[in-house]
Amino acid sequence: MRSWIIFALCGLALNAGAEEELQLHQAGATTDLPTLERGAETVMTVCLGCHSLKYIRFRELEKLGIAKDKVDGWRGSNPMGTAISSQMPAEAAMASFGKAPPDLSLMAKAREGGPDYIYSYLLGYYNTPEGGLGNHYYPPTKMPDVLGVAGVTDPAQRAELEKKAREVVSFLDWAADPRAQERHTLGYYVIAYLVLLTTLLYFLKRRVWGQLDKT
Amino acid sequence: MVSRVIEWVDQRFPLTSFVKHDLTEYPTPRNLSYWWNFGFLAGFVLVLQIATGIFLAMYYKPDVNLAFDSVQHIMREVNYGWLLRYIHSTGASAFFVVIYVHMARTLYYASYHKPRELMWWTGQGLMLLIMATAFMGYLLPWGQMSYWGAQVITNLFGVTPFFGDQIVLWLRGDFSVGDATLTRFFALHYLFPFLIFALVGIHLVALHTVKSSNPSGISLADKDNIPFHPYFTLKDFFGLGVYLIVFCAFVFFSPNTFIEPPNNIPANPLMTPAHIEPEWYFLPFYAILRAIPDMLGGVVAMAVSVLIFAILPFADRTSIPGGARYRPIYRAMFFIFLADVLLLGYVGAKPPTGYFVPLGQAATLVYFATFFLLPFVSKAEERWMRARGLPADLQALFQQRPPRDKWNDKGETR
Ligand code: HEC
Repeated sequence: MRSWIIFALCGLALNAGAEEELQLHQAGATTDLPTLERGAETVMTVCLGCHSLKYIRFRELEKLGIAKDKVDGWRGSNPMGTAISSQMPAEAAMASFGKAPPDLSLMAKAREGGPDYIYSYLLGYYNTPEGGLGNHYYPPTKMPDVLGVAGVTDPAQRAELEKKAREVVSFLDWAADPRAQERHTLGYYVIAYLVLLTTLLYFLKRRVWGQLDKT
Repeated sequence: MVSRVIEWVDQRFPLTSFVKHDLTEYPTPRNLSYWWNFGFLAGFVLVLQIATGIFLAMYYKPDVNLAFDSVQHIMREVNYGWLLRYIHSTGASAFFVVIYVHMARTLYYASYHKPRELMWWTGQGLMLLIMATAFMGYLLPWGQMSYWGAQVITNLFGVTPFFGDQIVLWLRGDFSVGDATLTRFFALHYLFPFLIFALVGIHLVALHTVKSSNPSGISLADKDNIPFHPYFTLKDFFGLGVYLIVFCAFVFFSPNTFIEPPNNIPANPLMTPAHIEPEWYFLPFYAILRAIPDMLGGVVAMAVSVLIFAILPFADRTSIPGGARYRPIYRAMFFIFLADVLLLGYVGAKPPTGYFVPLGQAATLVYFATFFLLPFVSKAEERWMRARGLPADLQALFQQRPPRDKWNDKGETR
């Protein structure tokens, strides 16, 4: 029966090898504030041209720690509590792309691979030999090469673009789960408390059961 | 003062005698291992699901245009809404982990034998209700997997002879999964946990009639039964602590393990996801469904695979107690079955192409063969064991069996 388990595990391993598709690049998304702030800048000024970020309100950007005058600049005359919408009306987007650009608020959780997928996708553009534009990770995509990646060969320029993509992805990762930081902080306390409580319960249980063994 | 109030109640309601009989002094075999903790854990998970569910229902909106947004509202704006939702979504998976371990323990020790057949069957009813509840709950966030999962599963009922289409229509409330489906699933998802709660009550009344099984498989002498409190209250609480550490690690640090990425995309009836895959806890049954090339056959095989556990009290025809503990062949079958279920789960998560097809079919065959062979194997095994002579510790157990046990006519296990 042990051989069965080994057999099953071999099956797992074999298959993992067989299924390898295009490798995603590691986005290295971080939660560090200056990165998020620069990422927000790019998203607000570039991506919002087509996409919305409808589950995030301007107020939350300020709560995240982004300078108020920056947020004010992005929101214009909208109140702080406004959900962040796209600058392009849905009909116009449909007309130009034949497809509505999806909302970005949950994007970092809505694709297999999450942030790494977005990172790879944004940097995945290339010029096809026929003079068209291709993308390694989403070949039929309707989105233009917004970061201007295709054709860039200079390593320094390429590194600059990777940095920019990393910032964008870090910000989108925050936007998909703005309570993650709070969740982790609370989690450490909860787990520490539970470990303490469980240890005490263990010793109490041992003591009480120990008396039983004597009788 | 307190004692006078209790006395007042006791004259009108059997409070003290209930607490004594069923909680504090309830006699429990002292040799129970930690595998016996999972019944209590299942009860705890049920209560936690109900408690978090009630609060979620205060903010959730069962309407196709609002459902997805209302979940995001809970996640982002309601105070500790993310906590409620992640406890609830992780809790669904945790429920199945606990229930499956609880079932595996019953299988390992063959605790379903006389006199605990009703324990086993009510338990199976609970499993069915939990599965139905989980399935309906999964529709509520109204993501792509919610929608397409419900579409595929409700569609299966269409194979019912004669009434198939009517049944599907009745389940969905519409020709396709839509608003009517969402509202009825929400109503039933709120109702079923209370049915489960009631059935747990019945499960426990039966338990307290036949008392807990134990690893030896026969009822112990009185001196080896100890009061539930403080011994098992403490043991259960310690187990609960360990459980909560693992559970909270997921809730706080990896809650999205149990939320498929496509379910973060709002349901879109016009766009089918690349693979539609049920939640992990349905995967073994889903693999059985797909192993049979014919749709009707597949649905029947899947239904039978869930229900077939009910035959075990009859199918396992041994009189040797303790299940896998004393029976080498039964033990081998148990582990083969366990490995087979894991394999089925793995196949269920893969697209039905290439070598996964024969693999799934072979695993399905092993699954059913286990049940069909058990009546013969269990008899043959007993003959073999008795011819070889029972192990000394088993003989000692037979000897120390209390003389006036009400189940003792021919040995408690049949
Ligand atoms: C010129 C308009 C436009 C801009 C600007 C734009 N996008 Fe897009 N984006 C689209 C369209 C259109 C799609 C839909 C593509 C499709 O599914 O074919 C899309 C899709 C996406 C997707 C989903 C891909 C998938 O797997 O379905 C992501 C992620 C994305 N955009 C990220 C971004 C980010 C990040 C930015 C800012 C750096 C951005 N987009 C800027 C038009 C735009």
